[in-house]
Amino acid sequence: MKEKTITLGHGSGGRQSTELVAFLLDSFRRRGIGPELEDAALLPGGYAMTTDGFTVSPRRFPGGDIGHLCVCGCANDLAVRGASPDFLGISLVLEEGISPEEVSSYMESAASTCAELGMTLAAGDTKVVPSGAVEGMIITGCAFGQIRTPRTLSMSSIREGDALLVTTSVGRHGAAIASARFNLPVEGLLSDCAPLWPALSLLLHLEGLRCMRDCTRGGLGTVLCEWAEASELHFSLDEDSIPVSFQVKSLCDVLGFDPLYMACEGCAALAVAPSDTEETLRILRQSPLCGDAAVIGRVSSAEPKGMVSMRTSIGGERLVDMPWGEILPRIC
Amino acid sequence: MPTSAPAVAALLGKISRTPLSVMEVCGTHTVSIFRSGIRSILPPTLKLVSGPGCPVCVTDQGEIEAALSLLDRGAVVAAYGDMFKVPCDGGSLASKRSRGLDARIVTSAMDVLAIAGENPEREVVFLGVGFETTAPATAALVREAARRKIRNLSVLSFHKRTPPAVEILAADPDLRLAGFLLPGHVCVILGHEPFRFLPEKYGIPGVIAGFDPDQILLGLAEIVREHELGTPALRSVYGKAVRKEGNGKALRLLEEIFEHRDAPWRGLGTIPDSGFALRKDYEAFDAEKRFSLSVKPGTLPPGCRCGEVLTGKITPPECPLFRSACTPGSPVGPCMVSGEGTCGAYFRFYKGDSL
Repeated sequence: MKEKTITLGHGSGGRQSTELVAFLLDSFRRRGIGPELEDAALLPGGYAMTTDGFTVSPRRFPGGDIGHLCVCGCANDLAVRGASPDFLGISLVLEEGISPEEVSSYMESAASTCAELGMTLAAGDTKVVPSGAVEGMIITGCAFGQIRTPRTLSMSSIREGDALLVTTSVGRHGAAIASARFNLPVEGLLSDCAPLWPALSLLLHLEGLRCMRDCTRGGLGTVLCEWAEASELHFSLDEDSIPVSFQVKSLCDVLGFDPLYMACEGCAALAVAPSDTEETLRILRQSPLCGDAAVIGRVSSAEPKGMVSMRTSIGGERLVDMPWGEILPRIC
Repeated sequence: MPTSAPAVAALLGKISRTPLSVMEVCGTHTVSIFRSGIRSILPPTLKLVSGPGCPVCVTDQGEIEAALSLLDRGAVVAAYGDMFKVPCDGGSLASKRSRGLDARIVTSAMDVLAIAGENPEREVVFLGVGFETTAPATAALVREAARRKIRNLSVLSFHKRTPPAVEILAADPDLRLAGFLLPGHVCVILGHEPFRFLPEKYGIPGVIAGFDPDQILLGLAEIVREHELGTPALRSVYGKAVRKEGNGKALRLLEEIFEHRDAPWRGLGTIPDSGFALRKDYEAFDAEKRFSLSVKPGTLPPGCRCGEVLTGKITPPECPLFRSACTPGSPVGPCMVSGEGTCGAYFRFYKGDSL
């Protein structure tokens, strides 16, 4: 790693996070016991596992709270690899002084989301640290489930000609958090935080389903850049096809953000073979959360390989790159 | 959204006969041009040159150092978000924050009033950066702080005036610019008058445009039209938002709080009368006076050619550091730091002629 200290930029998704992860995994990789970089690991015996830490400010935001977010985040990591969210572990680090009612309200929303998914809390841990050691609380989840597809859903399965889809409109979680954090209320702007399993589980029989990823930190843009790099293929997007709500657009315009890089917590990107694209869309659109599902681009062997380009609304072409560092609101 | 862009681009292709370079002064224009892929649909005769209009990019190293020195002295320093990553020899607001110093992001200058109220025992300093678009907000903050007699709030005013910098570029014989695309939001405040020197003194068209691709293309078409007909003028395609006389309220506020001074622009050097300094009546809120700071213009790091990028003399790929030593992850010069900087925009959106 080039930098001498870890900064918030390393935690924002995008290129710097990738560098930090590679740096941290080095000890494991040297010993040949490192993970592959997907949302959840596929384990021997037909199981999948993932872990994810959550720190969000504010802890309760338009459309959810940190408890709901923790369950959705973990469950969605399993879902995009074709595994059902069966068991959850939760570890809480609480700052001295936080109110028990507040924490239990997050447990209530976590439990209700688990119940909705048929997920059981199997393990847990709590720690309390002195005031100032963390801001309020950190919640870390670990989810475990059974793989429900005979095919491996992975970046390495992406092929030339595949269609690229999103399951709903992008950027709503990041925009909702930014709206709360920067005190810029936008009417009707809610986080998309929701479990994806009910919708994605209906696609697992499709032979053309290649790869799925929930577009969390770093947003859709980061996911597609990672896929393009890993597959060494060219991804071309059509700007007009990418669903972005009016509210997300407005907030991004004000703050100088790009909806492509805003976090989602209930939206997945999919790569699907052409033969199954229509069927995928048809199934997705029947789900209440995926009415805006759309084909947004194609995978090809065109140049430049390993990169993402976009056909813009006005008929121009441009590159889509991975974001760098912390996404900060602009001056004017 | 319906767009007239393809039609205007086609029109541009028809009316643009002689090769010409047009400068978009403002960083928001630069990013919109890249994000919408405008360059890829322009006629080959029309070359766009990105100017010095990103407030982050032109904030001098010495100015950043002054802000960091106040953090070191225990003050709370509040700034707009995109200032956080701008490096100088002493680090950046972000790196200071990661070492536990109290640098805070605000989206409105007025947020600083609350920070000062919540920290009565501490000095709270607002880093005032930006052009005529953000200077009125800083002026309003100073006036409100004076009205409430707040004792622990002050402002580092590094605000800059657009017209003197544009005039330097218009007068530069090496650039030979055929027109300027002027930022709509700056002209909403200033009106037409401060840029009238473009056609009148230099015979160059100046067209005021908004920031969506349709507006930018319309503005470019107007510049090309005036250039081809040899009738340079100052015009607005921004509609009713820009009044010729500007925004009287904002102008009066600027006049009340600020006076003009010479100011250092990163990469461009000191430009006479191009800065906004607090007037003597408000010196109690002037952080430079309160903390006896002397802000010295900084020097660019060795090899950095941001000065030539900011004046449109070279494009970022022509700088030897671009993409090798200088990346958004470890920027050498300011044009790479900001999301609206020319080098940052090239890095993100442009990978050579194939795109």
